[in-house]
Amino acid sequence: MELLIQNIVTGLTTGMIYALIALGFALIWKSSGVANLALGQLVLISSWFTYGMLVQLKIPFLIGMLLTIVFAILLGWLIERLALRPLIGQPILSLIAVTLGLAYFLEGLTAFIWPQGQGYLPKAFPQDPIQIGTATVQQELLWGAVISLVLFILLSLFFKYHKMGIAMRATADDQLAIQACAVPVNRIFSMSWIFACIVAAIGGILISSIAAINYGLVETGFKSFSVVILGGMESFLGCIIAGPLIGICETFGGSLFGSSVKELIPFLIIIIVIMFKPFGLFGEERIERI
Amino acid sequence: MSLPCGTRNYSYNTDMAIIRTKTQWVMFSLFLLALFTLPFYLPSSWFDIVNSIGIIVIAVVGLNILMGYCGQLSLGHAGFMAVGAFTTAILAQSLQMPFLVSLICSGLSAGLIGLIFGIPSLRVKGFYLAISTIAAQFIIIWVLKNWTGVTHGANGLDVMQASIGGFIFDSEIKQFFLIFSVAAISVLFATNLARSRIGRAFIAVRDNDLAAAVMGINIFNYKLLGFFLGCFFAGIAGSLYAQYKGHISYEDFTFQQSILYIGMLIIGGLGSSIGPIFGTVIIETLQKLLTNWVAPWLEQTITFLPTGFSSGLNLMLFGLVFILILIFEPRGIARLWSLFKGSYRLWPFSY
Amino acid sequence: MKKYQLAICISLFMVLSLVISGCNPAAPVEKKAMKVGFSIPLTGAAAEKGAPIGQGQLDAMKYINDELGGVNGNKIDVAWYDTNYDSQKATAIAKKLMEDGCMFFTVVASKDASASKEIANRAGFPGLVCFSSPSLTHPPKHIYAQLPDYGDDWAAFSRYYLKNIWKGEGKPKMALELLNNSTGYGVRDAARAAADQLGIEIVATEEHSATTISETDALNRIKSKNPDVLFISSTPAPTAIILKNASDLKMLSTMTVGCAHASFTKALIDAAGKDVCQGVYGVYPTVNWGDDVPGMAKRIEYCTKRHPEYVGNNDYLVGWASSLINAEIIKQALKTTSVDVLAKGDAAAWQLAENTGLLNVKGYDVAGLHGPVDFSNPLDKRGSKSVKIFQINNGGMVSLTGWVDSPNIQYENLDWFGK
Repeated sequence: MELLIQNIVTGLTTGMIYALIALGFALIWKSSGVANLALGQLVLISSWFTYGMLVQLKIPFLIGMLLTIVFAILLGWLIERLALRPLIGQPILSLIAVTLGLAYFLEGLTAFIWPQGQGYLPKAFPQDPIQIGTATVQQELLWGAVISLVLFILLSLFFKYHKMGIAMRATADDQLAIQACAVPVNRIFSMSWIFACIVAAIGGILISSIAAINYGLVETGFKSFSVVILGGMESFLGCIIAGPLIGICETFGGSLFGSSVKELIPFLIIIIVIMFKPFGLFGEERIERI
Repeated sequence: MSLPCGTRNYSYNTDMAIIRTKTQWVMFSLFLLALFTLPFYLPSSWFDIVNSIGIIVIAVVGLNILMGYCGQLSLGHAGFMAVGAFTTAILAQSLQMPFLVSLICSGLSAGLIGLIFGIPSLRVKGFYLAISTIAAQFIIIWVLKNWTGVTHGANGLDVMQASIGGFIFDSEIKQFFLIFSVAAISVLFATNLARSRIGRAFIAVRDNDLAAAVMGINIFNYKLLGFFLGCFFAGIAGSLYAQYKGHISYEDFTFQQSILYIGMLIIGGLGSSIGPIFGTVIIETLQKLLTNWVAPWLEQTITFLPTGFSSGLNLMLFGLVFILILIFEPRGIARLWSLFKGSYRLWPFSY
Repeated sequence: MKKYQLAICISLFMVLSLVISGCNPAAPVEKKAMKVGFSIPLTGAAAEKGAPIGQGQLDAMKYINDELGGVNGNKIDVAWYDTNYDSQKATAIAKKLMEDGCMFFTVVASKDASASKEIANRAGFPGLVCFSSPSLTHPPKHIYAQLPDYGDDWAAFSRYYLKNIWKGEGKPKMALELLNNSTGYGVRDAARAAADQLGIEIVATEEHSATTISETDALNRIKSKNPDVLFISSTPAPTAIILKNASDLKMLSTMTVGCAHASFTKALIDAAGKDVCQGVYGVYPTVNWGDDVPGMAKRIEYCTKRHPEYVGNNDYLVGWASSLINAEIIKQALKTTSVDVLAKGDAAAWQLAENTGLLNVKGYDVAGLHGPVDFSNPLDKRGSKSVKIFQINNGGMVSLTGWVDSPNIQYENLDWFGK
């Protein structure tokens, strides 16, 4: 019983971190229909940037955070302007491939500036553990879950009620029609990339203050693809539900079949979901016509 | 495809021929001659690069069939290569099978695994398929890592050099002939495949699979065939890689490798028979030059940057070329080459 | 027109082949120096360990060349490449080092070594690995280990534990928390081979990835088995997480914790905080930073001057010692072989470097930096065979023992080894 509760609690909290990264993915997909495979690298580079600010330049914590957000905004704008915009109207293959090229480039950039490969951020949250019934949970993971929830609520409200959010959804639906309504599609695209980079930066700071900054962040990015697939690509609600689900599957899989299985579970879920319910739990099923 | 001036089609046979004019024959035989006499004038230290180019060309040719012709994205090509490599290691090492048998078996086993992971392509495409092949990569590597009874897990497997009928390919130059013979056959096969009924069906599926289905093409069969053939070549490449390198473990086949192959294909030119060769040769040579010569030199001359910065240059450069090619010449270097050929034929006139 | 094209093609071909053949270096006549190759994961996933070791190696080579005037008055050339902790690159680098005419080569990381070992073994190119795993030196071929491997860490710690800490009746219960690569699997293999013999019961084996952010579930499973001792073989970041979670679960007060040498560095204490680490045991194959041994002063001087960021990092010391051993190997080889023969760096030189150099290193004390190095036993390819047990106290590592011997485990005789 004790083990069961612990598994659920650990799974839920680690899953919320996956969900946080996945939100950044859903954001871009929802507004521009581009699949961002450079997710992990965005997390990686913003974590390293924070490291550069806080540890290498010894800037006070809050100012460092602020600078990271500014950096994320610039990064998002630059990526959209330089790599994505020239490819508007190109086949989906090019759009996927360009994010792969971007992934490589960003990874190289981090290796170029921070070749040490491993960095530790100062701890952002209190370290004392919290007891939930019989289960123990790291306080930082709980904070992570809270931040994901807050971001989820903010983003959902934004997309539902804000003028820009509505325009973003409309853009994903039909680019030509929305252009005819005199909505600046280009600005919408860059806004979505900027938001996504901010979300990635927040996720990056969170994870790397718990563990360390290293290439593993990119793999965490891959794992959160399972969240978007399970939740449905354009659904924030899907992310926030699928993340913890996957976290729980991981811990239970680890309990039942040995801990080496933990690594496999997100990818198995991807294959299973794609074979049986390709559009996920809350995704929108699109019917194709010639 | 424009024909050289004065060349006409008088029969279906000449229309189908790959090589049409005497000049092309001369060029082609000169190229083959130059290629297979490389050992006579290329310093032996270059053969490490040349051989790995040969192996990767085979893998990328497979990827080209899958991605370039059939239009199915695969981000797990290194995983399929790993299947081939381990098949060879197990067959040739533990079961003492002749090399040629294990080469073919490697292709087949990789193809079969490719079929399994290709099944989602029947329902989904684009990004969903990309993600499912990423999953394929990680699942394959996980199995190789944890199925320790067969793959020896983290310790990996030792593989003997290939030998055919008692002749052992035990030097770089002997390996060169083995690898490039297989590579030449693969390129030829892929070129011919693209011009056959299958190839045209692939292209139809790529351009619009619904329309292709309406025209009576069985998408189910052709998509799976695409996966099988693409992964078959990956398996062959993996098999050659295993015996060439001598020791394989799951760590040799990373996700970055898969992306690299896609990058090579796109830089070379998607859906053209010569694209994979261009892409592989250019990227692989650049990377080797960078790691072996430029990076150590840079590290010594530029001291104000942190030590080790040059490893990032390699990735950055590749990523940059990848993005620039996608933006400025989405059809890759093969397209530039055919433009060059076209303008060369008409030279000195502009058209 | 066609002839014109043909002429252009042929002349292009000629020019190209001339250019390429021009690249072929005409055999240089000048006298070559002896050369040692280094394959270093300076960047990439293992850079946290690889960079200090590699810099230590290179600094020590500089010290040997600049201050000692080389070996017997002969300067040693250094060829080093960054593997980026990438298997394919590591293999290519091993080949490159062979072509560069190195006498032998050193590899820092066990992953890089397992990628290049078959190439080296085929060619008879001797290699020396700093941090090794059992599969590299079993069966014994041309790859040598500088230090005991992770499996030996476990065996040494277990012996120490049984002798000095364990007070109970019967067999102590041990849990393993291992990283999912050769760092962890080496310990798994050793425990499988020798736990019964030592009198230890392994009650739980958990794996984790290098990217883990929470191990509470695995630790809870371990806790439910009630072990007396927990052994961790991993890198610093995951180990810090494990220790923190274990302290959250109040496990540290009831059980002894030991770490293998991959995680037992300053980085661990920095990452986990000194309160969490208090009392954690660790195994490390060298002396501690600042210990009073003959080789320490020079090393600290070079480290402070050239790489101040690694001051206090014992990994730097491993690299330094590695290069001292290189010099000793060359010194032994020069007793019977001439410089010119070794400097050729061909197959004959490799054989001589191994037979007259490596195999003749007996009881070399490495300026006291780690256990005495002895490559003369053909069945035991580990140079140093002993480790030290440390304990973390007030954020520093305190050495508890002298050199603890860790006998070679005969994995070759076990039919499951490597499976």
